[in-house]
Amino acid sequence: MRSNLLPLFRRSLGDSWRSLIGWSAGVAGALFLYLPLFPSLGGSESQMAKLISTLPPQLVRTLNYGNITTGAGYTESTFYGLIGFLLITIAAVAWGTAAIAGDEENGSLELTLAHGVSRQQLVLERMLAIAVRLAWLALLSALIVLALNAPSELHLTVANEAATAAAYLGLGLLAATFALAVGALTGRRIYATSAGAGIAVLGYVLNAVGNQTQSLDWLRDISPYGWAFHHTPLTNGADWGGLGLLYGFSILFVIVAVIALRRRDIAG
Amino acid sequence: MTESGLAIETRALTKKYGRITALDGIDLAVEAGSVFGMIGPNGAGKTTAMRLLLDIVRPTSGAASVLGSDPRTGGPALRRQIGFLPGELRLDARITGRALLNHFASISGPVAPGAMNAIADRLGLDLERRVRTLSKGNKQKLGIVQAFMHEPRLLVLDEPTSGLDPIVQQEFLAMVREASASGQTVFLSSHVLSEIQQAADAVAILRSGRVVTVSSVEKLRLTATRHVRAGFVGVTAAELHQALSGIPNLSGLAVVNGDGPTELTATVTGNIDPFVKAIARFTVADLSVEEPDLEESVLKLYGVDTDEASDEK
Repeated sequence: MRSNLLPLFRRSLGDSWRSLIGWSAGVAGALFLYLPLFPSLGGSESQMAKLISTLPPQLVRTLNYGNITTGAGYTESTFYGLIGFLLITIAAVAWGTAAIAGDEENGSLELTLAHGVSRQQLVLERMLAIAVRLAWLALLSALIVLALNAPSELHLTVANEAATAAAYLGLGLLAATFALAVGALTGRRIYATSAGAGIAVLGYVLNAVGNQTQSLDWLRDISPYGWAFHHTPLTNGADWGGLGLLYGFSILFVIVAVIALRRRDIAG
Repeated sequence: MTESGLAIETRALTKKYGRITALDGIDLAVEAGSVFGMIGPNGAGKTTAMRLLLDIVRPTSGAASVLGSDPRTGGPALRRQIGFLPGELRLDARITGRALLNHFASISGPVAPGAMNAIADRLGLDLERRVRTLSKGNKQKLGIVQAFMHEPRLLVLDEPTSGLDPIVQQEFLAMVREASASGQTVFLSSHVLSEIQQAADAVAILRSGRVVTVSSVEKLRLTATRHVRAGFVGVTAAELHQALSGIPNLSGLAVVNGDGPTELTATVTGNIDPFVKAIARFTVADLSVEEPDLEESVLKLYGVDTDEASDEK
């Protein structure tokens, strides 16, 4: 007799291992591309520093390149704040959308729910599968960063890297759970994807605008991106308030998804 | 089994989608252990009725009882006792048919060892092929296997034979009869009457969200339309016309006076006895009465003609 523990969770993971390999390759590729370049770019007297000083300050602030000459600033500006953010956001939104809205639009949600599973169980098991995949991407990034820490002369501490990976994961979870919740509310792929991508883009824009002047700095406090990276965890360690907001809203969105899916009709 | 002996009972079950009424207060009673067919054209509400029974959609008003439970509150425990085949089965997993069935087994009632293979073999389905590479007919077979494999007390099958070739259809109908013989209840829908005619004990006819009639297949047969053809010797066309003109349920009378016997064709709706009595006084050289075509008689109930209905398929 096969194990019947968490059947939907196991199916979700089994279905997505190919895409997970792809996303893992993306994360690893970006890190292996950027981080080894730091020794030849970094330092306050480096070419990089001179190049940055010639750029318009607004652009530097938008890209969050102000601290790019330190190992922590460089890692955050190139990977966690930019390429890595993009990768985890796209993966999160795609998975969050597929879990309910995608499955419903392609007609397979109906058959699954006609079996011996509850709607709450479906939301929770599928979300757990998404969380595990996102956590793997965050963990993978942390392992690679720490592996390259010494050879790339980044001078990062393990604790700060862990805090950053946690913020990175929180940012991914927020986009995934928001896409999941909107998918549970509407059953429409386009709305779920727009919502998940929208919250990520909006967060990035608010953060970039808030970074321009001190008087707009409050915008970074209402931006999920700001919750993750405003207080530069790679330099300063965990921002517990920011992490609390990221994970708190993620949990809230999962609850919304459960309630929404339990209440409504499933489209055929 | 419920105390009333009903596997499914609905009372004034209604489902509205905005201003569109998909089901308009249907009352159904499906005896436990019977095969109950639901027929009607596309859009009549057959799929909606089935989805209500599985709590995939919720009623606007009215009530349903499935195996003695309300589908709204029966939850996973109730649905484990049901095998469901959706009307538009869409399967596109990368995994093999066997892996997909193992997954469905893990979220439904326990599947006896060998049951999966036995049904797949019967239908001629290769379980080692990847689901997304299967033809429509083979996906449909996979859907049938997942509905039957845990020997559920109730089978809810929406257009189960669509996409199956005639031989597999016959095998499927045999499976339905066997399920019924072993005490399982089968609730199936179709817009092809012949399969209901072969398998069902009782039939509900749906049209525009309402139950037009519920009838046993035998009764339906009695109201059925029969095409008759007869040859006579020693009688003229005019005499025949005169003798048959008084029969109210006879229509489409045509008489041909050839070299040989006088040939008659006509359509008898319902009771055939007056027609038989009327021709008995002549010398009948040849007589054929077609097996009643339920499809035609039901379509008359719908008020659509046969050509329209065949376009719909």
